[in-house]
Amino acid sequence: MAQSTFDRRRVNGPEESFPPMFDDEDDGGRGWTAKRCRGAEDIRPIFLQPGLVSQANGSAYIETENTKLACAVYGPRQSKTTTYSERGRLNVEVKFAPFSCVRRRAPLRDAEDRAVAIAIHQSIVSSICLELFPKSTIDVFIVVIENDGIEGCIASGSIAASTALADAGIEMLGLVASCSAGVRGDEIRLDPVEKEVAAADGTVILACMPALSSVTNVYQSGRVSAQGAMKCMELCQDRCIDVHAVMAQSLLSSRASMP
Amino acid sequence: MTTALSKVEISYIRSSLLSAPPLRADGRSPEDFRPIAIETGVAPLANGSARVSIGESRTGRETEAEGAGGGTEVVAAVKLEVDGVGEDKEGGKVICNVSCSPAAYPHLSSPALDDLQSDLTSVLGSVLSHPSLCPKNLVIVPGQKAWALRLDTIIFADAGNVLDSLMMACRAALVDTRVPSTRSVEYRAPGRRNEVSDDIMDVDEGRNGPSSLLETREPSRIVDFELTDYWDEGGVLEARDSWPVCVTLNMLPTMHFLDATSQEESAIPLRLHAMFAFPGGKPTLHGMRMAGAGTSDLSQIRILLKDAEKYARNMWTGLEAKLAEEEARRSIKARETVLWQAATITNTFPNA
Repeated sequence: MAQSTFDRRRVNGPEESFPPMFDDEDDGGRGWTAKRCRGAEDIRPIFLQPGLVSQANGSAYIETENTKLACAVYGPRQSKTTTYSERGRLNVEVKFAPFSCVRRRAPLRDAEDRAVAIAIHQSIVSSICLELFPKSTIDVFIVVIENDGIEGCIASGSIAASTALADAGIEMLGLVASCSAGVRGDEIRLDPVEKEVAAADGTVILACMPALSSVTNVYQSGRVSAQGAMKCMELCQDRCIDVHAVMAQSLLSSRASMP
Repeated sequence: MTTALSKVEISYIRSSLLSAPPLRADGRSPEDFRPIAIETGVAPLANGSARVSIGESRTGRETEAEGAGGGTEVVAAVKLEVDGVGEDKEGGKVICNVSCSPAAYPHLSSPALDDLQSDLTSVLGSVLSHPSLCPKNLVIVPGQKAWALRLDTIIFADAGNVLDSLMMACRAALVDTRVPSTRSVEYRAPGRRNEVSDDIMDVDEGRNGPSSLLETREPSRIVDFELTDYWDEGGVLEARDSWPVCVTLNMLPTMHFLDATSQEESAIPLRLHAMFAFPGGKPTLHGMRMAGAGTSDLSQIRILLKDAEKYARNMWTGLEAKLAEEEARRSIKARETVLWQAATITNTFPNA
């Protein structure tokens, strides 16, 4: 007996329905064994455009092959809570669009949204001079339009958030660049896509400020040896220097093109 | 988890730790843990359970003057449920959940408590539910039914270092878990019912008698199962030495320390959680998280990882010894129960 949408006056559809699952056409192998178009130490090319959302204080749109996300920064603005806090607050909210993953995601916020938001928060919070904004909150809203691997989302999200904060003119210690790596046995591949992550033993995400050579966040999951994790982090840090150059270039050219 | 501290207290704790030699409020050295008490089999209705308390054991409660209140207390329990399995999956999964008792966090509002619960659940879930750790003997009927292992933890009291206690309790509960053995049952042509043990699957072509030439179906497969043991007996989970323990290193620019109390956690927010397991003696990293405001650099992380492996190894050997002791106690108790039951029966029916 159906409970929710049973309507006697109408012809009801089936209670449960599932979207069709299509075979992958370009499935040249399963996950890790698929030949990569890029090298093991190359990341996907980044397209980064600041100043996308006009009503926000700062915004950025990042696209790397199949991962697309948009970030908007509002702030510093007054905290809604009345408790006095000497340091400003950083609030990161991540939303996956229902059409972003292979299986439709419900529009409600769930645990995975929050986990990604916390990882991005940890990556960028140490780069902002929050002592200069007492009683204020900086809100960072990220919408994931297309998702090809959670690790890639976290890394791209941190890059977009840092760029958007710079676009908003908020004082920071440095730009945060982030890179992910997947490990399978002894083989390390940077910037793994979802299929590679599913086939990998473990993944590492590193967020750092290349200008200061400091690390803001390390996130490792899966089964990796300690030396393997260190090697991943070193490769990621080298790659983050290149990402930092891309971020700086995009910020400069967007400012130059403004009247 | 964050006690409200004044700036003076924070500066006092920081400068004591940065002095040479480092000083802590309870006189411990930076690498010392508070006394840890572990007990398994605390939840009789669960398939496996454990209680871990760091800081103040049950017996120490008479001396109230020790420290400011009790220590961190965490209980983990495992319940196995039968679950249907999709066609492409192997079957068997581990689902974790953390709930924080409001008594443990009286200063947190309800939504903040929910947030803390979901944060801890996602950390635990991302480590323990990872497919590389899924035990193989959770499958009952391949392709159809498998055990879903629900690992529920409750934090009764939090006096700092809650993630280490959670991972220790989870590991102890998982080692204590007994999976009931099952036997697969196969239904054949009506009137004949055979039982097939689940490691032998006979494919006997001619048994169905004269069948239609158009019948291209495969011979009937295993469709059901039955339990052969009592529910509190059974086999252990496979790969028991892969469940990791967690070491939390609280980071200062020049030094690090372990097992922070809640005041120390508020004063020094930056920490690194490293989860290590030692299957067959080899160290593997199962999770690493950095938490708190502050930056580090790769050279410090390299040193921290090496030290974390050392601390985790000590924690591991200690935990293994204690778990072996608990298992011996459990089997003695089981034997005593059987003898007691036999004695009761002979007493009730003396002529039987």
